[in-house]
Order: sequence, then structure tokens, then C-alpha cells
Amino acid sequence: MGRYLPYMAFGLLIVLLVCIGLFADRFVLYLTMRVMLLSIFALGYNLLLGRTGLLSFGHAAFYAAGSYGMALFYLHINPDPLLGILAGVGLAVVASLVIGFFCVRHTEIYFAMLTLAFGMMVFSLIWNLRDITGGDDGLVGIGRNPLLGFSIAKDSQYYFLVVFFFALTVWIIHRIRSSPFGLVLAGISENHQRASFAGISIKSYRLAAFVISGAFAGLAGSLGAMLESNSDPFSAHWTHSAEPVLVSLIGGLHTFSGPIVGSVLFVVLREIIERFTQNWMLWLGIILLVIIMGFRGGAMGSAEQYLARWGRKFREESAS
Amino acid sequence: MSSLLKVEGLSKAFGRVVTADGLNFEIHAGQITSIIGPNGAGKSTLINILSGTLAADAGRVFLEGRDITRLPTHRRVRLGLCRSFQVVNVFPDLTVFENIQIPVLGIVRKAHHVFRSLRRERGVTERVMEVLGQLKLVGRAHDLASELSHGDQRLLEIGIALAVKPKLLFLDEPTAGMNPVERVETLETIRRLSATGRTTFVIVEHDMDIVFSLSDRVMVLHRGEIICDGTAEEVKNDKQTRECYLGEEVIE
Repeated sequence: MGRYLPYMAFGLLIVLLVCIGLFADRFVLYLTMRVMLLSIFALGYNLLLGRTGLLSFGHAAFYAAGSYGMALFYLHINPDPLLGILAGVGLAVVASLVIGFFCVRHTEIYFAMLTLAFGMMVFSLIWNLRDITGGDDGLVGIGRNPLLGFSIAKDSQYYFLVVFFFALTVWIIHRIRSSPFGLVLAGISENHQRASFAGISIKSYRLAAFVISGAFAGLAGSLGAMLESNSDPFSAHWTHSAEPVLVSLIGGLHTFSGPIVGSVLFVVLREIIERFTQNWMLWLGIILLVIIMGFRGGAMGSAEQYLARWGRKFREESAS
Repeated sequence: MSSLLKVEGLSKAFGRVVTADGLNFEIHAGQITSIIGPNGAGKSTLINILSGTLAADAGRVFLEGRDITRLPTHRRVRLGLCRSFQVVNVFPDLTVFENIQIPVLGIVRKAHHVFRSLRRERGVTERVMEVLGQLKLVGRAHDLASELSHGDQRLLEIGIALAVKPKLLFLDEPTAGMNPVERVETLETIRRLSATGRTTFVIVEHDMDIVFSLSDRVMVLHRGEIICDGTAEEVKNDKQTRECYLGEEVIE
């Protein structure tokens, strides 16, 4: 029973998403898409942070690589959406390979600062290379051509493409986490010295995790560019790099579903709070404080602990 | 007797402190060798250099005739050279089973499989259970490593090293922090595994009872030099060793 619970939850989630796609109004649709994009970003990112134990402050660079890769491919080479996404993810993979190569030689604060430095370099490149990237205007006019004969021009149609990539991401990340590779990543984060004495080349595994997380950031970026029909230079800003960190923290670093739950909370809470006050950041700070001090392990982490405690109590009571 | 490990002119200094001063020796397959010496004699440095965590200033190291002086740790492990640690050094928040699974995956070169489910790796599972059987930890397979007693964690520590099927295994004070019962059992395990001939053990130890009861050969290290090398009996009677290290009361 317990083993099938995640699959049932996943099935329910997809059904819910399809229902939203069929019946919800445009605003809810848009918000749900933003949640899914952030989830894709954060699910990949948490493979690096929660699993491998590496805190990156530069992943906005790969999101932007996806976004600009998609936009440039659309504007200059081919307007096919699927090829565009492929180009975006491809550019993000190349960028994360190059940047990752230098960063994974270090850990902890040095790794974090290096990723931050590279992220800022990417941002200023995008900002200054006006002829290519459009500078502070970004790249505009990205249309949504039919995909394999299906129109995705309307948001209500495009929505299902986003659902598809969201489901794909959940499936892939789940497979990775339950694979030998996923276990080795957990081992590296627990005790990297011992992992190398298990015959594991730590740097290669760290780099692999870095590139995978970069690829998903790129996927989120290229889908985002299509959603907004432009590429925004601020998507490369280091403040955007903080989003997957915060979302993973809120949802639970060491859980699979944490980044998804965190994304829902993040987007929905911001939407609600911004209606009442300008000070979204103040409230986000308070929410983070409560979660970090009161709910160790994030929303899903503490839910799991609570369920485990409750289950033990239940068994003890029924045994006596 | 064949030479498994050969060390030539190995030197290492930290500033003015010389911890290895042109060491030359061989380790022979099938012999349990102990390295002893007072604190600061250079035992830990020697293990760190041989296992690849520290680079030597000079000298060369050969494993089965192959020069491994410049190889990184994980490559040495794959060639069959591994070590355990003085303090508990396991994966605390993984299960006992997973603790052994990681080195097994590492050594059968399956650790990089991104998409295959772990449960499908039957061969790996069998090998993990075999190692757990050797350690008598099968019953604890699904507990977290951090939930084990200190002695069992030390045992798991040795298990992680054994899981890579090493030809040569350095044990750094394998029984430190164990109670007497666990100590006897661990020594029995080492003796039994050594008798199978697959793994050659080199033990760094402080406890003289263990050293003299277990070893075929004892090397005494003092200030980065080998001052005595021979059977337990020969080392016990060596004058220089007594002076610099053992103290009269130890050898009755």
C-alpha cells in the first residue's frame, strides 16, 4: 500500500491539473503554469541541493540560457516550438557543463560563491550584448506555432504542453532518485571522503548532477519564454537564482515532492499577499522564518515526520 | 612470496616535520602486516599517501607492479587498494544496506546508471547481502547506520571497505572504541577473511595484544623511518624498538 501511495498521488495530481486546464479561468490557468514552471526549475535544482548537498546561487543563468536559447532559435533559425525547446535546453546544458566544470572542484561556501560569480557574469553579458540579446528590453515577439499539428497559440492550449513537460520532469527526477546514480549522489552529500573510497569519482558525479539540474532550469526557461512570449534579462539576475533555493527549503530539501509543494506555496502566497500589501518580501521573510525555525525539513519534511510519529503511535495503541 | 605493494623512496614533510623519510618496503600477499609506532611516527601520513588522499614529496608506489603514485583515490580503489578509518566514517543517514550498496555499485561500475531502478540490480543486492552476512549485520540491513551501536558502526566501516573486494586493505585501528566481545569477534573476522586469501590486510594499531596475536609481520615506524621489520617475536626482542616505543612493561 505505502509503496503505491506516491504513484496514486502523482496520478491524482495529473487529473487535477487536467481538470484545471479544462474548467478553470485564464487567471488560474496562468498561475498554474507559473507554478509548474517553478516546479520544473526547482525539481531539477533540488537534485543538486537536497541530494548532492551543493548550494548553487547561479542557476538563474541556466534558466536564462534556456529562455534566450529558445528565443534566438525562434527568431533566427526555426520557429518550431519543439526544436526551440530543444535548443534552449541544449544551450543550458552547454552553459552548465562549462560553468560546472570550474565550480564542482570546490564545495560549500566556495562553490556557492563561484556559482554566484558565474551567474552575475552571465547576467551582465545578457545586459550588455545588446545586438544579440536585446539588452534591457530582452527578446520580444516569440510566437507559439503549432506543435505536431496541434495549435498551442492560446494559453488554454499551451497549458497542456506545460503539463506534459511537468509530468515528464516529475517522472525523470523520480527515476533518477531511485537509480544507482541517485543513491551515489546521496552518498556523496553524506560523506564525500568515504564515497571516493567506494571507488566513486566525486567530481564527475557532482558535475553530472550540476548539468542535469542546469538542463531542467533550461527547460523551465524555454517554456517560460514561450509563455510570456519574451525573454527577460532579469530572469538571469541572481535574485532569480534564490527562487529554487527558497522553494526547495519551504517544501522540504530532503523530500521528492518538496519543490512542487514549495512552488505552489510560493506562487499562491505571493499572489494572495500582493493583493493586500506591497511588502511581499517582508511577508516572504516571515514565512521563511516560521518554516525554518518551526518546521525543520520544510512543509513535506515535517508532514512526513508527523505521519511517521502518528503511525508509530497508532501501531503501539492497537498492539496494547 | 609475491609482492603486492612496493614502496620506493617515499618522502613527505610538513614544513620541518618529516613524516616519511625515504621509506622502502614491500607488502606481501597473504601476510597480515602491522604497522606500529608512537604518536607522530607517521603512520597516518603513510596510509594517507598510499591510499591517495595526500601527495608524496618524493618516491613511488607500485600496486602489483603498476605505478599508482599519481592516481586519484577512486582509481586506486578500483585497482584493489582500499582503507578503513580510525573514527566511524560511514554514511550516517543512509541504511546499512545502502552503505554497502554504494561501494558495490562503485566497483562493478554501475554507479553511473541514471535511469535503471536500483531494485533491478539483483547481482548488486546479492553481493551486498553477502558482505552483510560476513559482518553478521543482515538483521540490521534496513536500519539507518546512525542507529547502530558504536561497535556495529565500526564493523560497518570495515564492511564498506570490504565491499569493494580489495586485494590490499589498510585497517586504521580497526578495534578502537569496541568493547572486548566485539573486539574478539572483529579479530576473528579479520583472521577468517585473511585466510581466504582474497584480501591482504595491513593494520595500524596501538593495542599490542592485537598486533602480536594477529600479525605475521610487524613494521615499527619512528619519525618517518622504519626502525624494525620482522616477525612479532623479532620485534618484541628488538632493542631499539623497546627504547623508543614499547616500554619494558608492555612486553612481559
